[in-house]
Amino acid sequence: MSGNPYQDDRGNKDASITNPHGQGTLTASGTQPNPMPGKDGPFLIGENMTGGYGKTGPDILHDCTIAVERGEIAVIVGPNGAGKSTAMKAVFGMLDLREGRVLLDGQDITQLTPQARVRHGMGFVPQTSNIFTSMTVEENLEMGAFIRTDDFRTTMAQVYELFPILREKRNQPAGELSGGQRQQVAVGRALMTQPKVLMLDEPTAGVSPIVMDELFDRIIEVARTGISILMVEQNARQALEIADKGYVLVQGANGYSGTGKDLLANPDVRRSFLGG
Amino acid sequence: MIDLLNGIVALANFVLIPAIAYGSQLALGALGVTLIYGILRFSNFAHGDTMAVGTMFAVLVTWGLQGMGVSLGPFPTALLAIPFGILGAAAIVLLTDKYVYKFYRAQKAKPVILVIVSMGVMFIYNGFTRIIIGPDDHRFADGERFVISARTFRDMTGLEEGLALRTTQVITVVTAVVVVAALFWFLNKTRTGKSMRAFSDNEDLALLSGINPERVVLVTWLIVASLATVAGVLYGLDKSFKAFTYFQLLLPIFAAAIVGGLGNPLGAIAGGFVIAFSEVGITYAWKKVLVYLMPPALEPDGLVQILSTEYKFAVSFVILVIVLLFRPTGLFRGKSL
Repeated sequence: MSGNPYQDDRGNKDASITNPHGQGTLTASGTQPNPMPGKDGPFLIGENMTGGYGKTGPDILHDCTIAVERGEIAVIVGPNGAGKSTAMKAVFGMLDLREGRVLLDGQDITQLTPQARVRHGMGFVPQTSNIFTSMTVEENLEMGAFIRTDDFRTTMAQVYELFPILREKRNQPAGELSGGQRQQVAVGRALMTQPKVLMLDEPTAGVSPIVMDELFDRIIEVARTGISILMVEQNARQALEIADKGYVLVQGANGYSGTGKDLLANPDVRRSFLGG
Repeated sequence: MIDLLNGIVALANFVLIPAIAYGSQLALGALGVTLIYGILRFSNFAHGDTMAVGTMFAVLVTWGLQGMGVSLGPFPTALLAIPFGILGAAAIVLLTDKYVYKFYRAQKAKPVILVIVSMGVMFIYNGFTRIIIGPDDHRFADGERFVISARTFRDMTGLEEGLALRTTQVITVVTAVVVVAALFWFLNKTRTGKSMRAFSDNEDLALLSGINPERVVLVTWLIVASLATVAGVLYGLDKSFKAFTYFQLLLPIFAAAIVGGLGNPLGAIAGGFVIAFSEVGITYAWKKVLVYLMPPALEPDGLVQILSTEYKFAVSFVILVIVLLFRPTGLFRGKSL
């Protein structure tokens, strides 16, 4: 498959000698620990990004630009396979960029590893496996604050205030919670680093419509505290309603972009992606 | 009534006490295996020989201390040597990690490849131990041999059966309890311990939370080296030190870890005792106990020994197979810490 003999999967299914559970898949593109000086512009921007997975994989993104201003919500929507999640991963450094660059607060972070980006104020909530299932809710939050050496109890109190249900369930293993509650844990964990930008990959995947509205409300609240939000969403209509800025991706390139309201009003976008 | 008491004393003397001591040693060994499985995600076949390496260093230091006339009075001098044994074992496993395992981690090698790599490491350790200390049997226990000897017990109680309680057995159990309590406290209460559990649960998310994988791996190896050395020294004190025996210990230790549920520390302890009790129970000649407990007419003619002691390894295997057939995840649910 990958051509790497060390990753040959043969004989790897015997759980009495091997433990594939929770194994790392993250491949970091970056190599440098520190950002380079960039230029002023939007708070976070992935500029003219072109790239795909691996060193030799085909390009998935084509000259794609995603930006978000401080305290605003930017939403990436588009049909299946348009490269929404890929664009987000590119911004977060989980993808080899062949062209283009990523700037955060005027600094060029294109060559940073994902974990270095976390230290520079980016929080990322993956779509799946986004909580530590065997650990309690509180331990999940503590792990989110792992890089912090200061007292993070106030941040934890803020997270509990944002998601009151988590305070109630704080000593319960996170894996026993419902889908919506898990997403709250996942977002809470990412908030514990006190990020400047929060990136959410389909936060409402697999939760009920009521919980979805609730989650969107919380996300707006988070944005009001000055944290920029960049999110990928399947539920395009609801997401665009709360978005300051929307990007419709088509086959890895920018199809349409504008404010959420503009896109909702745009007849082309309505016809192609919102079902009329 | 006296017969019943005699029966119970005989049972305690020949089955319960030895099995508890052996079970504690297995549990400590299985904890090491389960930690590696949970965090580094492979079964470490070199674990028995890691125990041998750590114990070897401890034995050498014990001899040195004995030569200098240092002693702990009634306690074995080897207890003083344990920290040095741990240092030696830690140095060896960290060197191995740096020059062997690290390469495979960087390649994101599949766990099954690491399993095979650990077999190679096992042979190297095996040879290393034999080159330094030789293949022979070494006894290094000193100090007071018994807490209560069989004769003292008989004189004290007037019973026909004696109950011997060896110093090493008491030390084994006490040490095991302390070490296990410390390990659980570490894993559940400290920041580093929690980060190890997080890494075991979800490597990617741990990375995104800023947990340094190399540090987690380092701490894991340090803990495993300590557990292996403590288990090895306790076993050696209780019985004797021989490189080949330690290599063979790998079987009951793996059985214990798997029976309990791989990756689950509680399971490793439970598994250790399950294996120890079945091994001792099935290879023990029960006649001695039954004579007291059964009416004279029903007294057995034979030894009532289900399997001879040479087959003790078969016992671990049979239990392993039974558990895997009926409860593949082990008695406790395995997989993550």
